[in-house]
Amino acid sequence: MHVVVCIKQILDPEIPPREFQVDPQTKRAVRGRASLVISPFDLNALEVAVQLKERAGGRVTVVSLGGEETPEALRRALAMGADEAVWIRDGALEATDASGTARCLAAAIAKLDEPDLVLFGRQAGDWDQGLVGPMVAEALGWPLVTNVFQTRGENSPLELLQQAEGGYRVVAATLPAAATITNHEANVARLPKVREIMLANRKPITQWSLGDLGLAADEVAPRVVVEALAVPVPEGHCTFIEGETAQEKAQNLARALRELKVI
Amino acid sequence: MQVDLKLDEEQRQIVAMVRELAQERIAPFAAEWDEREEFPWPVVEAYREAGLFALAFPETYGGVGASAVTQVLVVEELAKVDATAAIILAVQWLGALPILVAGSEAQKARYLPKLASGEWLAAMALTEPEAGSDVAGLQARAVRVDGGYRLTGQKKFISHGAIADVLTTFARTGGPGAKGLSAFIVEKGAPGVRVGRIERKLGLRASNTAEILFDDCFVPERHRIGEEGEGFSIAMRTLDRSRPAVAAQALGIAEGAFAAALQYAQERRAFGQEIARFQAIQFMLADMAMGIEAARGLVYRAAHLVEEEGRGGGRLTTANRYSAMAKCFASDVAMQVTIDAVQILGGYGYIRDFPVERFMRDAKITQIYEGTNQIQRIIIARSYLDLAPGP
Repeated sequence: MHVVVCIKQILDPEIPPREFQVDPQTKRAVRGRASLVISPFDLNALEVAVQLKERAGGRVTVVSLGGEETPEALRRALAMGADEAVWIRDGALEATDASGTARCLAAAIAKLDEPDLVLFGRQAGDWDQGLVGPMVAEALGWPLVTNVFQTRGENSPLELLQQAEGGYRVVAATLPAAATITNHEANVARLPKVREIMLANRKPITQWSLGDLGLAADEVAPRVVVEALAVPVPEGHCTFIEGETAQEKAQNLARALRELKVI
Repeated sequence: MQVDLKLDEEQRQIVAMVRELAQERIAPFAAEWDEREEFPWPVVEAYREAGLFALAFPETYGGVGASAVTQVLVVEELAKVDATAAIILAVQWLGALPILVAGSEAQKARYLPKLASGEWLAAMALTEPEAGSDVAGLQARAVRVDGGYRLTGQKKFISHGAIADVLTTFARTGGPGAKGLSAFIVEKGAPGVRVGRIERKLGLRASNTAEILFDDCFVPERHRIGEEGEGFSIAMRTLDRSRPAVAAQALGIAEGAFAAALQYAQERRAFGQEIARFQAIQFMLADMAMGIEAARGLVYRAAHLVEEEGRGGGRLTTANRYSAMAKCFASDVAMQVTIDAVQILGGYGYIRDFPVERFMRDAKITQIYEGTNQIQRIIIARSYLDLAPGP
């Protein structure tokens, strides 16, 4: 079983809100003092992949597209149990969006040695769009199962446990297939062990440019234009609800809420 | 001498992992462990899982052979949230050091792998009621008998004394003074070894500090570390290497307290603005930060020197001056910074709802153990004077 996990390195979403800023000119989040981390749902995807490897054997390849600090995320994934890493690195990808990212990832997956399953976090912890996984599945022409939290079995068809209202659904997926992973108590990402961290520094990271993937710069140009980006400023107001009796106060409260269009 | 304070990739990854472990498995529970004065076994379990005990052990014996700098980085990171949790690693390594620096091949093979995995805990039992910093004045006796020794004596303030599976200890096999001491390994449950009083302390309350009583305790000859009479030297070679970890614990406590004070100063408002806008607070924050950064320089430098000079099991010379400076300075900084942090938090600093109260109590011990700061100052001064080397 060859499982591929696509991960994204993002600004740590756990920083205090007062430290989070965006640059209105470039329309990007300002790095500031925030550290870079693997997007939380991607960590769940890695955990699902490593558990599958431990159960069914095989190997895990982790793929990420990003700038100069990407190796740090890849090393972390290797320390968690991935066997190989691919870093898609090209100056032309600086401004790309979900569709460009998906094209690159699909090309990279097609170039890898016969993957059986490709996993994505349900959505990235920065933009929360949830586009890349489905777009890659579409580009590869593979079946996609969304909101999966665990796998069962060892071969095709593989059972994917998909979160559903009040429980879960078991989907049998013919491989190769793609899945987006959501968080669940069954896939809390393990902390890497000291020894694994040290060994991870000896595992290979392959670098591929757009040329290596057979793509041209205009194929990964952004198709979505961000018009404006700002941190919302919460405003607080205080209104006293008057009334002689509890009933009258309740009626006035209901009226006020209706006028505010919150009920 | 060149010291590169920039961490390498591997060190940053290990520290990042330890930070997560500390946030998830230690920080939320530290206050409760302290309150209950209960040894935090879940921390030992977390260290076993993450393989942290292995850092200070060579690969040959199940360790990962991390550098002394990596070791202090880890202890520092843990101490930012809980000094008790941080010292668990330092005590394990301290207890194992006599075996590492002077043990036989058979002793290393028997003990080090289990100590590296954390399956066994170690403690070093050196201090006695009448002798701590003055190691040459130890009174416990080991009398030679057929096949080994009979140990009699009392050891006091032994970190992990009541929970350790392996004790490395020191007793007198010869006459008075440094030359009469020998080092031994005593396993848990050996007949004649008993745990006495468990101390109740100002700080590090969850840490286990116990009295160990040897009463005609038989120790086979193969459990003597090194030669007869080598005990003082082994104790010194051990302490030469262990001080940076305690210095790192102090540094981490200071950093934890500073972070809490910094955050509070930017949130707490008085007279219509955050108290961080007042110069009185800013000056305190500046002094705290300066102390911490200076201590950091000394701690990393000391660790670097221990690493460079410490291969093989001999005594260290250059490194000792800097380990003493690091331990003394970082612990004085930790005391001052935690006092200031309590002051900045005001009433909230004095109550147990915020961790700075615990940090202040914990900081005090770092000025005392592993050689009091008065002893450290003697070591530092003597390293410049042309006098005979001291303790």
